[in-house]
Amino acid sequence: MRRSQLPAAAVAPKVRAIMSDMVSTRLAPRRYGRINWIGLAALYRKEVRRFWAVATQTILAPMVTGLLFLAIFVLALGRQAGTIGGVSYMEFLAPGLIMMAMTQNAFANTSSSLLIAKVQGNIVDLLMPPLSPLELTLGVALGGLTRGLAVGIATAAAIGVFVPLGAAQPFFLVFHAVMASLMLAQLGVLAGILCEKFDHMAAVTNFVVTPLAFLSGTFYSTERLPEFGQLLAHLNPFFYMIDGFRYGMIGHADGSLVLGIGVLGGVNLALLAVNYRAFARGWRLKA
Amino acid sequence: MSLLAQPRRFGAVNWLGLATLAWREGRRGLKDYNYQLLGPIVSALLYLAIFHLAWSTIGAGGAAAMLAFIAPGLVVFVACEKAFENACGSLIFDKHERVIADLLMAPLSPIERVLGYLGGACAAGWVVGAAVAIAALLFAPLGLHDPLALVFFGLMGTVLHSLIGILVGIWAEKWDSYAAIHTFLLLPLAFLSGLFYRVQDLPALGQALLLFNPVFYVIDGFRYGVSGEAAASLGKGAVVLVAVNLALFVLAWVWLRRGYRLKP
Repeated sequence: MRRSQLPAAAVAPKVRAIMSDMVSTRLAPRRYGRINWIGLAALYRKEVRRFWAVATQTILAPMVTGLLFLAIFVLALGRQAGTIGGVSYMEFLAPGLIMMAMTQNAFANTSSSLLIAKVQGNIVDLLMPPLSPLELTLGVALGGLTRGLAVGIATAAAIGVFVPLGAAQPFFLVFHAVMASLMLAQLGVLAGILCEKFDHMAAVTNFVVTPLAFLSGTFYSTERLPEFGQLLAHLNPFFYMIDGFRYGMIGHADGSLVLGIGVLGGVNLALLAVNYRAFARGWRLKA
Repeated sequence: MSLLAQPRRFGAVNWLGLATLAWREGRRGLKDYNYQLLGPIVSALLYLAIFHLAWSTIGAGGAAAMLAFIAPGLVVFVACEKAFENACGSLIFDKHERVIADLLMAPLSPIERVLGYLGGACAAGWVVGAAVAIAALLFAPLGLHDPLALVFFGLMGTVLHSLIGILVGIWAEKWDSYAAIHTFLLLPLAFLSGLFYRVQDLPALGQALLLFNPVFYVIDGFRYGVSGEAAASLGKGAVVLVAVNLALFVLAWVWLRRGYRLKP
């Protein structure tokens, strides 16, 4: 049967159905509930895939660096060091190294993601989709959190071959791992928004993040610092991450745990507010 | 008129071209001095700080002696890292931006190309090393025991790393390779080379393996130049370094002559 021979009466309802379908659903803007879950999940998946595709660099490399630090510190100091907080220097050092790897990589993930998108000009792919500022912040930051935890697990597994690792306080272990990675991931989001060149980011990493991480009590017990040094150390938010995480592993803390939880929670909330505001205004992102 | 239309003639060596390439390479690695000088200074000082703090808080005496032991190694390590980064980064960057033709078109012989990159990268390494040494002097005593050993081993170290940088730069197609060589080869070689600890603190197997690590001889010889303390025979170190550098130099020369991974 040729098309022209189709009875008009049989075709008309179908056409009407298609037309009404187009008008009512296809042409209308999509509606979301309070949160665009699909968009948030897609952004998160993209952020995770971004680092997973180059896992040698993003997970294996920090693991090797962590092992190297363990080796040099144990070889240089292990013989002279007695016990710190009831454990050997090696066991004291291990949680700090794991935490350092987690935080540095959580930061690197979000900051490089945003900065590369800005430099290459594909940041519009982030700004055009129907994602709210909160969804943008969370999607990118949760990607960084995931990288931090993945690096933490890998580094812990590698270090665990040489050092006995425990979980004296599992709650503190998990809480500090998550909160610290999230905090650095959020800091990375902020740095990614602020910086406009790779040089700027290198400066932030070299002059802010690495010094704070190195001088946080990873390699030494702040209890044994002179009083002024202790005061300075306790002003560094990194101290609370490492201290709380170490408490989770070996059950010994140098500082106040309650204060640490307060600092981590407070800084995370503050960063969330700042990042929300930055995305909402399109600060250094939109023309 | 006839003068203008004739090709330029060079002697055995195109000195002007060689100097231009070396100057460009050296300048390139130092022009953003806020990051390129200050960055290494800050990280070297951080290493000194954490070792000092860790050493003094565990209650062992002799923190000053330990700083004096680590500081020379750090200076030459930073210089070597810079030399690698300079040579390798600049080649990969030029390949990505498709401006590597500027190098291949210029009337330079392969050996002049290797020497140009080598000179620029070594110079940048020495400038950064000198800056770090000055900064480290504020916290650690650095002497001058044997200037000849210091210059020789410092030079051999930066040449070694520049040559590795040139080879990786020619071979690599992505920045990933640069990062991988740095993290999985150079950093372990340097960190496990007696930079931070004395050789006798290593287990026997480690001590035996150390003798196959060229970076160990660099750091050991350079430290001898500064403080007079050496763990291995300097003559053996010199022979190993000259041999390794010569082999890498020839390889770089062959690669550049063939246009390996550079020309279609």
